[in-house]
Amino acid sequence: MLHVENLTVSIGDTPILKGLDLGVGAGEVHAIMGPNGSGKSTFAHALAGRDGYEIGGTVTLDGADLLAMEPEDRAAAGVFMGFQYPVEIPGVNNMYFLRTALNSVRRTRGEDEIGARDFLEVAQEAMELVEMKQDLLYRSVNVGFSGGEKKRNEILQMAVMAPRLAVLDETDSGLDIDALRVVAKGVNALRTPERSMIVITHYQRLLDYIKPDVVHVLVDGKIVESGDHTLALHLEDHGYAGFADRDLDDASLSGATA
Amino acid sequence: MSVATLPSRTTALDQVASLSLPTKHDEAWRYAPHQALGQLMFGPATALDSVPADIDGQIPHIDGPRLVIVNGVVDPTRSRLDSLPPGVQMVSLADAPADLATALDREHEGAEDAFSILNRAYGTGGAVIQIDGRSDETIHIVDVVVPGGTQNASATRIVIDMAAGSSATVVETRIGSGDLFGGSNVRTEISLDAGASLEHIILQDLPSTQIHLGRVDVIQAVDSALRSRLFNLGSDYSRVAYDVHLAGEGAQAHLSGLYFGFGQQTLDQQITVVHDAKDCTSRQSYRGVLDDASTGVWNGGVDVRPGADGTDSEQSNDNLLLSRQAEVNTMPRLEILADEVSCQHGATVGQLDEEALYYLRSRGIPKEEASRLLINGFADQMMDDLKSESVRTWITERLGHDDA
Repeated sequence: MLHVENLTVSIGDTPILKGLDLGVGAGEVHAIMGPNGSGKSTFAHALAGRDGYEIGGTVTLDGADLLAMEPEDRAAAGVFMGFQYPVEIPGVNNMYFLRTALNSVRRTRGEDEIGARDFLEVAQEAMELVEMKQDLLYRSVNVGFSGGEKKRNEILQMAVMAPRLAVLDETDSGLDIDALRVVAKGVNALRTPERSMIVITHYQRLLDYIKPDVVHVLVDGKIVESGDHTLALHLEDHGYAGFADRDLDDASLSGATA
Repeated sequence: MSVATLPSRTTALDQVASLSLPTKHDEAWRYAPHQALGQLMFGPATALDSVPADIDGQIPHIDGPRLVIVNGVVDPTRSRLDSLPPGVQMVSLADAPADLATALDREHEGAEDAFSILNRAYGTGGAVIQIDGRSDETIHIVDVVVPGGTQNASATRIVIDMAAGSSATVVETRIGSGDLFGGSNVRTEISLDAGASLEHIILQDLPSTQIHLGRVDVIQAVDSALRSRLFNLGSDYSRVAYDVHLAGEGAQAHLSGLYFGFGQQTLDQQITVVHDAKDCTSRQSYRGVLDDASTGVWNGGVDVRPGADGTDSEQSNDNLLLSRQAEVNTMPRLEILADEVSCQHGATVGQLDEEALYYLRSRGIPKEEASRLLINGFADQMMDDLKSESVRTWITERLGHDDA
């Protein structure tokens, strides 16, 4: 489904991702863990299509070249990214935003637009899933939302957009345990055999609630280790130090042979 | 009594012959197109033989009493004056009753200038509105300019007099027709007696070949409240000036506005609020969106006079520039000569938020539509507490969007 091959990303002269390979099959949930600055968020934004990156390598979703697409076309192709820092948009009604988003991708896909009344039902269902207060639907997007409400709003959008690939960038950051539980419940309810997910996190805690099929460790712009969920537990006990050291060792070795 | 023979009018007529127009050295007129101002030809108001039909489509659909003025003369067929709500009197200035002589001869705090003198001299066919009660119906005044003939400009004078404890909403729509050069000079003089409350809305949307010069003078007594909204949208150059005089203790004035410029437009707001009594409150909140090669001007002042202790004022002016050629000039002014005063001001000039644009696009919304959403979101906040649905509809349709 998603194939990432030798992905490199630089911002200005600074390389962030240095040859990342990843394959995610349909229905799989992959966790990407790594220390601060390892390139986790950059990877998420490279998939979503943020401006300002120098990108190399290939990324395909169901065979389509994602890197050639604008962000809105990636969304229509089925990519959804949950932002670590959801953006506040004053003056734009949350409900109107959601419906415009859904209808935009439907239009691009050649599907009929959904009317206001039918949409309300879709939205209500998603609201229940993330236990969101009704009035947040009628407020400006993320304006005056608490940290937890913003993250719920991300999962709400994910539920409404029903993506093929969901990339959740540190969705657990800044959440208390109750909010974390609700967000995880939403994510788990949205797991389907067709939908793939990439869950990016710094801490193992989220993975107590969302059990991944595969865990990857990202250090210094590369995946240095992959394994099942026990890898996350290992990280919890030992931290990233071992991986960082090994990466340095590799570097010095290659330096010695040159 | 006749307006024609009021002392202030005859004086104005005497002054017309020797008027000197403002120049670019007058700070308050710095951004005006001085050459074009000199080409505006005013004179005694004369009724048009036939009013262009495209006028009707431009008028907001507001129920209730309505006075339509075309080229400075009341158009009885388009006006609705037969069923005025209790406590509301609205007549053409030409038919003003004798007991209004004081209101019509009132001197204002703001200095007179060439155009206010022209307005006094020729603005004889406007409206006088007297309110003594609490009216739920919106009072609508429509000023129309159709340039042509020897005069290409019209002068209209509106006088709004509110008795103690009265309340009302007045909407002034200012529009025009045709593609000839010309303009309108509309002056509104508002007096709020003790505890009176007025919502006053200006919808300015003249054709892009015309110039609009608006001036609003307000005097407020004890505990009176003004809620003023300006939607400054049309004209090649539109300047709307407010002089608000808070003369009674506890008076409140909340002025807000939106200017939205395209093409070569210049939209100019000149605001002065004078705190001249204790414990008065004033708010100025204006937003501008400037596209293409348009220019926005916001010159907002607060003068706190000696003795106006306990003054509470805030000013804000936020601008969105959508093009490299667009320009905005924002100038908050503050002069404080009293004690225990709280005065705050802030101004911002920015472009569309790239992060917000990316967020919307990542949700599948195409770039152009995402930009439009952000622009409308910025502008729509100036309508947040606007009650009149018909005014809101008119504005959103005028701004070309449907997300009401």
